[in-house]
Amino acid sequence: DPFEKVDVVMVMCKSHLGNVQATRYVLWCRDAGFTDIISTVEFNYSGDLLATGDKGGRVVIFQREQESKNRPLSRGEYNVYSTFQSHEPEFDYLKSLEIEEKINKIRWLPQQNAAHFLLSTNDKTIKLWKISERDKRAEGYNLKDEDGRLRDPFRITSLRVPVLMPMDLMVEASPRRIFANAHTYHINSISVNSDHETYLSADDLRINLWHLEITDRSFNIVDIKPANMEELTEVITAAECHPHQCNVFVYSSSKGTIRLCDMRAAALCDRHSKFFEEPEDPSSRSFFSEIISSISDVKFSHSGRYMMTRDYLSVKVWDLNMENRPVETYQVHEYLRSKLCSLYENDCIFDKFECCWNGSDSAIMTGSYNNFFRMFDRNTRRDITLEASRENSKPRAILKPRKVCTGGKRKKDEISVDSLDFNKKILHTAWHPKENVIAVAATNNLYIFQDKIN
Amino acid sequence: MEYKVEAHRIMSISLGKIYNSRVQRGGIKLHKNLLVSLVLRSARQVYLSDYYGGVCFSAQQVESKEWELMDAEQNKLRPAAEEGPAPQKDAGLGDATPVADEPTSQPQADGESPAGAQQPPAEADAETGGTSPAGPAEDQTGGGGRALPDEAGTPGAHSCPTRKRGAEKSHHACSPQKRTKVTPTPDSSGAAEEPEEMETGNVSNLITIFGSSFSGLLSKDDTPPASEGEDGDSGSGQICCDQMLKNLNPWTTAIVAF
Repeated sequence: DPFEKVDVVMVMCKSHLGNVQATRYVLWCRDAGFTDIISTVEFNYSGDLLATGDKGGRVVIFQREQESKNRPLSRGEYNVYSTFQSHEPEFDYLKSLEIEEKINKIRWLPQQNAAHFLLSTNDKTIKLWKISERDKRAEGYNLKDEDGRLRDPFRITSLRVPVLMPMDLMVEASPRRIFANAHTYHINSISVNSDHETYLSADDLRINLWHLEITDRSFNIVDIKPANMEELTEVITAAECHPHQCNVFVYSSSKGTIRLCDMRAAALCDRHSKFFEEPEDPSSRSFFSEIISSISDVKFSHSGRYMMTRDYLSVKVWDLNMENRPVETYQVHEYLRSKLCSLYENDCIFDKFECCWNGSDSAIMTGSYNNFFRMFDRNTRRDITLEASRENSKPRAILKPRKVCTGGKRKKDEISVDSLDFNKKILHTAWHPKENVIAVAATNNLYIFQDKIN
Repeated sequence: MEYKVEAHRIMSISLGKIYNSRVQRGGIKLHKNLLVSLVLRSARQVYLSDYYGGVCFSAQQVESKEWELMDAEQNKLRPAAEEGPAPQKDAGLGDATPVADEPTSQPQADGESPAGAQQPPAEADAETGGTSPAGPAEDQTGGGGRALPDEAGTPGAHSCPTRKRGAEKSHHACSPQKRTKVTPTPDSSGAAEEPEEMETGNVSNLITIFGSSFSGLLSKDDTPPASEGEDGDSGSGQICCDQMLKNLNPWTTAIVAF
């Protein structure tokens, strides 16, 4: 049995009033045979499906168990629903370049019928996949056996009508559209528009707008490639469509800025409608200021009023109505600021952390190193650091909030900065759109935490 | 002195990253190489600032004022060996560093210019766990640097990379010059020559190693280099051509090649 399950863990944390509150979480550690590093995690609109992509180009979809009287305890459990190979490694002969099969992003389409659709992308090609269930099979063909072998037509003496017979549920994934050859540079984002007809894809220098039905052309809506590449100073790092206004999208840059564009203004949205940038603190400049200000992820809140950006050390919440500074800033791992040179050497400074909102936009979550992930409550300003690890995943274990000791005397249960394992990084996290269920990808393990209050 | 060692180390690391990115699976990553080249450029300026007395600010703006301040500070420098590098750096980079006893209030010449160039000693300090005050070698280097500003001070001949100047100057900076050897930069101090020559020697070895790999890519024009339409960044291409910086062009063109 490749699945390990831990029943209930307790998370104890102090409330802002000082008393200890215990929230019970059900923890599952899913080892669905991930041999490769998980590279993206995404819930669908209902939260019943959770898609993961990995470095090997595979997509694994988990489905939530429905409530059933037979197995009351397994309500809400996520099990593997479908596995398929989305992308294969390719070789561009013209440029002598290998194209990685790693899945950079998965985005679900809103469900319109019994089938589920998702977009998955590697560095160069976006694919629309249809995931459908088949629980019936036609039996009683005239021209072929049940094995599929052709029957000798001369030996058929009577005709019958094939009938549909129930069969074991089979989940099939088939590629319905392939959107290729539109990106010279590496695709970093895809985002489905609220019109449910179009979506955008962004690479380092360009953003294209596609229609889901049309694969042989796309509209280029942003192009920041300079005429002279020597003048290149920034690249696009992430892009997202507004959740409600189908004409609005944002894209972030390696310089720590965000541009909001309105597609009604012009066909080419090189001129932004809004420009979000926080003035840099001159006292904190260093060799690596530019790298750590590069935004690795941008996400609109569900309300559409706010957006959140993640740079190397912090998460910032922006009010779309205020461009000159964020309304909230949360330090994720400020203790790393003095280690930037080492993190540059071992390439960790280039890690692209993602961030996500909870369903009600009251909390945000992002990952860190040592398999730590952080959650911030925007209302109470409380934050918590948890660790996704197998060692802590014993039945009835108490999942204690973790704390990093930044200096001075290390208290019991604290971990010092130098003991952090920088190979264990949590780059991808996802929050269920409605409930307190979170999915955390730790290298090649997927952890699902659920708030279960009995 | 440590900051220069640190700057050199960061330059080597950065070049190594750029080189490795060429052989990485999936092709050259533009974003990462852009960031690495920015760090490389900043480190290089710190590394060079010691030779040229910190000639690193926009000639357009506050040059004359800066020269005055720098002269004033250099006059203060002479007796104080310990403060050798710091005010030097302040003069050059217009930034306050923890090492400096005199807080610098010089305006940064160009808000956009070498982003990482400020506070490299602070960074070096942080990483090396504290820097002892520079010794006599620094002071002599500072002395040597003092002599240079006059010749280097010709307005417009050189300055820190500014994005505005990139277009005009790029044709100077990137004329293809296949140089596989870095000549030691002229340093009139003399006394601190030896350790610097060794470092330059190491650097020239790096150039030789990388130069051979980049030999096919050293021409800068619109024809895309072997690897694609993915012309990578070259923040360094914006650096204005400077007599003294010309010998480091192989690096410039190497980055342009991306």
